Amino acid sequence: MDTLTFIVSLLYQYADTLALLLLAAIGLIVIFGMMGVINMANGEMMMIGAYITSFSYYAGIPTPLAVIFGGLGAGLVGIVIELLIIRRFYGQLLASLVATWGLSLIMSQGAYLLLGPLIKSVPTPFGSFGVGDLSFSYYRIFIFAMGLALVAAVWALFAFSRFGLHARATMEDPSMARALGVDVKRIYSLTFGLGTGLAGVAGGLLALTSTIGPFYGQTYTPQAFITVVVGGGAEIVSGLLASALSLGLVKTVVMNQVNILLGHVAMLVFALVVIRMMPSGISDWVERRRSQGRRA
Amino acid sequence: MLPLARLIDRALGPVNGPLETGRSPPFWLIFLGVVAVLVIAPSFLSRYELLNFSNFLTNIFLALGLCLIWGYAGILSLGQSAFLGLGGYAYGVVGINLIEAHGNTWLALLAGLGFPVLVAALLGWIMFYARLKGVYVAILMLVVTLLIETFLNQTAGQGWSIGLAHLGGNNGLGRFSGVIREPPSLTLGFSADAMMIFGGKTRAFYYLIVGLGVVSYLGLRALVNSRLGHVLVAIREDPDRTETLGYDVRRLQLGVFCLSALLASLSGILYVSWGNFITPNVFGVYYNILPVIWVAVAGRKSLTATVLGAVFLVWLSQKLAIQGDIAFVVLGFILLGGMMLLPEGVITGIGERIGRLFDRLGIGAATRGGRHGG
Repeated sequence: MDTLTFIVSLLYQYADTLALLLLAAIGLIVIFGMMGVINMANGEMMMIGAYITSFSYYAGIPTPLAVIFGGLGAGLVGIVIELLIIRRFYGQLLASLVATWGLSLIMSQGAYLLLGPLIKSVPTPFGSFGVGDLSFSYYRIFIFAMGLALVAAVWALFAFSRFGLHARATMEDPSMARALGVDVKRIYSLTFGLGTGLAGVAGGLLALTSTIGPFYGQTYTPQAFITVVVGGGAEIVSGLLASALSLGLVKTVVMNQVNILLGHVAMLVFALVVIRMMPSGISDWVERRRSQGRRA
Repeated sequence: MLPLARLIDRALGPVNGPLETGRSPPFWLIFLGVVAVLVIAPSFLSRYELLNFSNFLTNIFLALGLCLIWGYAGILSLGQSAFLGLGGYAYGVVGINLIEAHGNTWLALLAGLGFPVLVAALLGWIMFYARLKGVYVAILMLVVTLLIETFLNQTAGQGWSIGLAHLGGNNGLGRFSGVIREPPSLTLGFSADAMMIFGGKTRAFYYLIVGLGVVSYLGLRALVNSRLGHVLVAIREDPDRTETLGYDVRRLQLGVFCLSALLASLSGILYVSWGNFITPNVFGVYYNILPVIWVAVAGRKSLTATVLGAVFLVWLSQKLAIQGDIAFVVLGFILLGGMMLLPEGVITGIGERIGRLFDRLGIGAATRGGRHGG
């Protein structure tokens, strides 16, 4: 393998890893950053997105629309879950964690009982290109772009929309936001729906690259959790990006040199080192530095 | 007050206290009754029933450990079975290697108890000394256990051996690996000619578990009702304030976390001793959600509820497993329903109602009166 091929393949792997981390974690970190709740059923939301994408695709709906349906479906399920379950556990983070874990069990095992161990997978679009003697898939590059686009969209939503303004106010100080006329409960429902919807889109996008079964989303769980722990919840977008960029680098290098399992282990070790120094994640650490700078 | 009641009250002093439900004389009478039934159980249970019941009981230590850290100290770990698995594997690997040379499993027992505690100490040091948020501790433990599962699942190749023990990939340690050497049952020599083998089918194993269970239960009751137990509860309620009172919260969290790992590893060792096998499944999602279900549904703030809940729910899972794949859906609904309807636990809820009934009948008053009167 010549140098060019090596560099291209390393960059390709890095982009691919980043795409996975961003997509697996984005829904999780939006909900965690806004509500402090870890949605243990994030993987199942990805599964729902993937299932709807597959069913829509085989019902003759064009692939992009099928993925969007996946996101909408998962988003609706999320809103219902928020209204029925999450709402009862406001302020009890560990309890909401356990309750959503129960939900995850019900949804994955329920899908297994109702729909069996596998459903029809969707073909990967776009074909591939070759560099040196290696061939690369265009769709993987596309997924990476979509991961960045979703992050940008989340950023724009929180920075510019009315919902974003209310959401940020709620995140900062719920009781004050309520006093100023923000419907905090509605914000929480919508945020939860947004998070699960993003997980649904992510599930739909990734479904085009793999087989789909009831436990499809769970395979992303360790990476998604590590990304959230490293990123922290203080700043959703910058935290997610910083976390994915650093973790992705660690994983890509180790994966490239050794194997994928050690890549995951290296991510965990990196995460443990990071939290030893920045217990609330990179974003919180940066935030604190910045506010100290402002004061000085 | 009756002199007898006062005597009982004094004897039960260390294990009775406000931090555990079930402290009235009727409760202790029932407790003695249950222990008596457990002791005579081998005489009326069939061989298979006893074997099965022993298996249920191995889980008690795992459940007690989780109850201690989650219910009392406020630390939730979603990867508690990792310590069970590490204990089982460490015991198995050392046992396979040393059983013939030594004729006993003392060193394997030590390895099985020590290795998970070391891992817990390392992880706990990182997590608690960083003052990590509770939700982070919970999910990091899950990540740790899932990665161990992934690692062990790919150890099927011949290269993955530790001495005579072949790790065996997803077949795990045991006769399923196609390897003749399986992890030995606990074999404890007490003197030159007094050797006890605690195989899963033996009464000795059953009595060992019952004995260890009673000792652990009473020991933990004494712990949570001691001064230390009150500090643990204070940490659960408000770590910052507890720190202001001069307690090293991080050190106590680390300590209690290691103790829970020790208890979990005991379950792991007993499990291997019972069935002479262990697979990477014990590190997976389902083995890790089970103890959370037992403790959450039964009542995480009560050791008594946890023990009863664990035994009942393991029994129920086995009954459901016969029906096919529906078991985990039902357990999921039990967990979610329990969390929503009785957040403090089903058994705790029932226990409190019985307690109030006793109070109204004036039965429990003796103990409580004694306590307040000094």
